[in-house]
Amino acid sequence: MLPNDRGYRFSGVESSRKVHDLRAELTSEKKDPRQQRKKIAMKKVVANMTMGNDMSPLFQEVIACMSIPDLEVKKMVYLFLINYARARAEIANLAVNGFEDDLNDPNPLVRAMAIRTMGYIYVERVIESLIDPLRHCLRDRDPYVRKTAAMAVLKLSMFDRSLVEEERFLDMLKDLLADGNPSVVANAVAALTEISERSPHIKLKLNMKIANKLITALNECNEWGQIYILESLMYVVPQDSSDAETIIERIMPRLQHGNSGVVLVSVKVISYMMNYVSQVETLEPILRKLSPPLVTLLTAGPEVQYITLRNIQLLLQRWPTILQNQLRAFFCKYDDPIYVKLAKLEVILSLTTEDNARVVLTELTEYATEIDIDFVRKAVRSIGRIAIKIELAADRCVRALLDLIQTKVNYVVQEAIVVIRDIFRKYPNRYESIIGTLCENLGSLDESEARAAMIWIIGQYADRIDNSDEVLGTFLESFLDDTAEVQLALLTAIVKLFIMRPTAGQDLVPKVLKWATEDVDSPDIRDRGFIYWRLLSTDPELARTIVLSDKPEITAEGERLDMPLLEELLLQIGTLSSIYRKPPSTFIPFAKKRVLGV
Amino acid sequence: MAFFATLKAAVNIATSQSYDIDWREPKVKEAAIVHWEEVKAAADPALPLAGLRLTAEQKSKLDELLKGESVFPDQPTDELLDGMPDAIPSASLNRICGSIIDNCLNNHNHAVVAASDDVAIQRASLVVVPAFSRYLRSVASLHDAEPVWSAPLDTVCIHVQRGELIYVGVVSREVAALEVLELLEGVQQALGEYIGHVTELTLKENFATVYQLLSEMVDSGSAVTTDTAVLRGLVPVPSLVDRVIENVAGIGMRAERRPAVNTSSTPWRAPGIRHTNNEIFVDVVERIDATVEAGGAVAAYDVSGDISCNARLTGMPDLLLAVNRADAMDDVAFHPCVRAARWDAERVIAFVPPDGQFKLASFHVAADPAASPLLPLRLHAATSRLPDQSHAIEISADAGHTAGRPVEKIHVRVPLPANAYNIRVQCKAGSHTVSNVRLPQVEWSLKALRPTERGARLTIHYLLRAPSASEPPLSAGNELGAQAAFVDFEVAGYSISSLKVESLKLLRESYKIFKGVRYVTKAGSFQLRF
Repeated sequence: MLPNDRGYRFSGVESSRKVHDLRAELTSEKKDPRQQRKKIAMKKVVANMTMGNDMSPLFQEVIACMSIPDLEVKKMVYLFLINYARARAEIANLAVNGFEDDLNDPNPLVRAMAIRTMGYIYVERVIESLIDPLRHCLRDRDPYVRKTAAMAVLKLSMFDRSLVEEERFLDMLKDLLADGNPSVVANAVAALTEISERSPHIKLKLNMKIANKLITALNECNEWGQIYILESLMYVVPQDSSDAETIIERIMPRLQHGNSGVVLVSVKVISYMMNYVSQVETLEPILRKLSPPLVTLLTAGPEVQYITLRNIQLLLQRWPTILQNQLRAFFCKYDDPIYVKLAKLEVILSLTTEDNARVVLTELTEYATEIDIDFVRKAVRSIGRIAIKIELAADRCVRALLDLIQTKVNYVVQEAIVVIRDIFRKYPNRYESIIGTLCENLGSLDESEARAAMIWIIGQYADRIDNSDEVLGTFLESFLDDTAEVQLALLTAIVKLFIMRPTAGQDLVPKVLKWATEDVDSPDIRDRGFIYWRLLSTDPELARTIVLSDKPEITAEGERLDMPLLEELLLQIGTLSSIYRKPPSTFIPFAKKRVLGV
Repeated sequence: MAFFATLKAAVNIATSQSYDIDWREPKVKEAAIVHWEEVKAAADPALPLAGLRLTAEQKSKLDELLKGESVFPDQPTDELLDGMPDAIPSASLNRICGSIIDNCLNNHNHAVVAASDDVAIQRASLVVVPAFSRYLRSVASLHDAEPVWSAPLDTVCIHVQRGELIYVGVVSREVAALEVLELLEGVQQALGEYIGHVTELTLKENFATVYQLLSEMVDSGSAVTTDTAVLRGLVPVPSLVDRVIENVAGIGMRAERRPAVNTSSTPWRAPGIRHTNNEIFVDVVERIDATVEAGGAVAAYDVSGDISCNARLTGMPDLLLAVNRADAMDDVAFHPCVRAARWDAERVIAFVPPDGQFKLASFHVAADPAASPLLPLRLHAATSRLPDQSHAIEISADAGHTAGRPVEKIHVRVPLPANAYNIRVQCKAGSHTVSNVRLPQVEWSLKALRPTERGARLTIHYLLRAPSASEPPLSAGNELGAQAAFVDFEVAGYSISSLKVESLKLLRESYKIFKGVRYVTKAGSFQLRF
C-alpha cells in the first residue's frame, strides 16, 4: 500500500466547507460585469475536481453558469459535466436545455464544444437529444464543427453500436470522406476505422478511388490527420501490382516527416503494399528508400529508438536486405538505457554477416566488460549465436569466449559456458581441446543453466574426459539440492557415461536412478529415470541407440518468428503487438485479427 | 514400443508449461489483495461504481457477489477477485486517457501526468497510475524504465520523462506506440509554452488551462492537434498581458474569435501580422553523434542537423531558400509550412513562415562510406593500473577539422564507479570539478582550443574501495574502472557537412528584409570509450 499517493485530498469536513465557499462565490450577487468572479470561482471548482474533491453538490450553480456568454467559463462548465454528469443522471438531465441552446449558437466553437461534450455523457436523455443535432452538425457549414461531430459519432458508437448503425451515421461518415476540408476527412476516416475495428460485423474495405482521394487530402492535413489517413490505407486491398505501386509512390514522401509516428505508419503501409508488388526489381529501390528514415529515427529519444528497434527486427526478418551497411548505427552507446541496448543487440545479430562478423565481435567483446549484468550476459550469448550462425566466424568466437572466461567474472563465465555447449552441439568434435579450460571453472558454477550446460558437455564427451566419472560424481553429491534442470542433465549425463564407459559409470548409475525415481518430486525426472532404468535393464543396445543418437541440428535463429505470426505482426508495425511480438487478440479483449487480403 | 509412448509423454510434460493463474496460490492471492486495497483506497465512496459502463451481465454478477454489502468490503472474497478483471470493462476505456492524475513519486520526486478525458478512464487510472508509479519505483534507475509497460486491467502505460515530470499515456487498445509518444511530447511542449516551467506546482496552479488544452488536443482518445499556433487560437494563454487585453477589450472578444484552423490555408500563420523591422534569422545547427575508441578510432559516426528560423515578417511573406548541397541533406523532414513538392522537383525550400521561432527542416547528412569521418575534436584515452593499485585515466583533446576555427565550450564528463575514492585530477588547461551527487564524476571544461594550439590533457587517478561484506561477491562491477567519457563542444561559424544557405528570397511582399544566417557544429551524443 502506498503511504498516500494523493496526499493533499481534503478531509470530508474541509471538502464540504470548500463546497460551501464556492457555492457562495458562484451565486454571489456582487457586481461582476465581465464575469471575472465567476470565472475565478469556476477555475477553483475545476482545480478541486481534479484533485479528487467531490464538487458534484455544486451542479445546480454550475449549470446556471452555462448561460454566461464567455467561452472560457463555458469550457469549464463542460469539464464539470464530463466529470460528473455521467454518474448522476439528474445533473445530465438538467444540462440538456443548456446543450440545446449551445448547439444552436452562432459561434461554431460553441456548437462544436457542445457536441463534443454530449458525446462523453452516456446518459439516456442526453444521448437521445444528441442524435438529431449530431446529424445537423455532420453537415454544419463550419468544418471545425463537422470534424468534431465525426468524432462524436465514434463516441456514440462506444455507447451503443447498434444506434450508430440504425441511424445511418456510418453512411454520413462515408460521405465526409469526400469533404473539401482535409481535417474533416481525417477525422471521418479515423472514426470509421475505429468503429469498424470495434464492431464484429462491420468490415471496412476502401477502394482505390477512395484511397486516391484520401492520399490527396494527406498532403494538407496536420500530422495527426496524416496518421489517421495512412492508418486507413491498411484497409485498401489493391487489385493488382500497379495499384500497390501507385500507393507506395504517393506516400513515399511521408517517410520524411518530423513526427516519428507518421514515419513508422508510412513504413507499415509501404511494407503492406509491397506484398502486392509482383516484380522483384520494383521492390529493391523501395527497400533502399526505407533505410534512411529508420536510421534517422534512431537519433531520436530512447523511447522512440526502442519502438523503432523492435520493429526493425520484424522488418529485417521479412526483408533481410534493408539496412545493409548500416550496422554501425546500431552500436550501443554507453548511456543508452538498458532496454535500448538489448534491442540494439538483437538487430546487430540480425545484421551480422561473414563480412562484418569481425567488427561485430570486437564490439560485442567491448560490451561484455560493461557493468550492467543483463547486458553483459546478452552480449556473451550473442557471441555464441554468431558462432552458430556464421561458421567462418566460429573459431574467432570461441577464442573471444575463452578470453572472457579468463576474466573470471563469475556471471560472464557461466554465460559463456552455456553458449559453448550450443557451439559444441553445432560443431561436434571440433573444439574439445577447450574442455580443460572449462573444467577449471567447475567450482564457480552456481547457476542452474550453467551447471546443466557443463554437465551436458561432460556427459557428451564422457569417453574423452579422463576423470569424467569423478567430476560427475562430485556433481551427484548435491543432486537432491539441485534444480530439476540440473537433475535432468545429470541423470542423462551419467547414463551416457555408463553406456560409453560401463566400468566408470557402474557406481554412479544405480545411485542416480534410485534418487531420480524415489526421492525426486518432478514427474519429468521420475519418468525419465524409469525409462532409463527399464531401457538399460531390458535392452542395452537399444539404450545406446536412443541415448547416444545424433542430435537434431541447432540454429542461431531461435528467436525467429513463425511465418504466419510474422505476417500478422508486419500488418501491425509500430503498434503494441509489434513490440510485444504477440497478436493483438492475445492481450486486447476485442481486437480483430488482421490478415493479408486478396 | 511401450517405451516410446512413455518417452513421448515425458517430452510433452517437459515442454509444456502452465501459465494459468491460480488464485489459491498464496503469492498470487497476496498480490491480488494489494491490488484490491488500491482499488478500494482509490475509489471515491461518494460515487460507488458510477461512471463504469457495466453490461447487465456484469452488473448482476457484481450485485450477486456483493449481496447488498458495501461496494468495497474489507476483505476480498475469492469470487470477487475472480470477477474483478471484469468489473471495469476495458472495452469502455478510450484509446488515450486524459485528465491530470496528480501523483507524487516519493523516491524520485517526480509527478506523473496522465492524460484522460473520460471518467471511466480516470477510474481505471486510479488503479493503473499507482501501479505504474510502483513500477517506476521498482526499477533501479528511472533512466532504465521501459517506455511501454503492461499495467493492470488490460491496459498499457506508455511514458516519456521530460524535465521534472513523467508523462504517461494509458492505453487499452491496439495503438501505434510512437503516436502516443509523439502526443505526449506534444502535450509536454504545449504545457511548456502555456505555463512556462512545468512542475507539479505550476500544473496545479493552472489546472483549468491544462484541462482546456488537453480537451482540444485529444478528443475521444485520438490526437487532434499539438500545434501550439492552432491551440493559441482555441485556448487563451494565461499571461499578464492577456489579462490586460481582456480587461480592456471586454469578454466578448475572445468568444468571437473563430478557430484559426478553418479559415486559413496556412493554419500556422495568422493573418494581419505586423512588424516594424522585417527580419529573419536562420540557424544551421549540425550535431555529430559519435563513439570514439580509446585509441582514437571511430566506432560509430553520424551527422544530423536542423535549420531553424526566427521570422518577424509582416503580412503573408513567401520565402524561397536555396542551399549549396541539397543532395547532402538526406532524409529531410520539413515543417508543415514547406511545400514538399517544390523540394522534390527543384530542391529549393519554399514556404510561408510561421511568426517567430520555428524549426524549418531537420535532416541527416548522407554518409560517404569511403570517406573517413570528420571530427572537429580529436580525442584519445589511455587507462592503466598503477603499482599502488590506483587506476589512472589520461584523456587528450586536440582540435581537428574545424576550417581553422576554435573548438569552444569543450566539456568532458567522466563518470567513475560508485566505489571510487581518493580522486585526484590534473590538468594544465581549463578547469575541473569533482562531484559526488549520485555517482562520483569528474568534469573538465575548456573555453576554447585553437587548431594552432597544442592539445590539452587531463589525468585522473582514483582508488576503488574493496567490496564490503554485505555486497554480493558475484558483482564484478566492483573491480571495473570507469568506462566512458561524455563530450560536448561547439564550433561556431562552421558546418561540418559544408552546407551553406546560398540565397533567401522574399516573394509576394514588397518590403525589404534583413537576413542573418549562422552556422554551428556541435557534439550530439559524443562518447569516448576507455
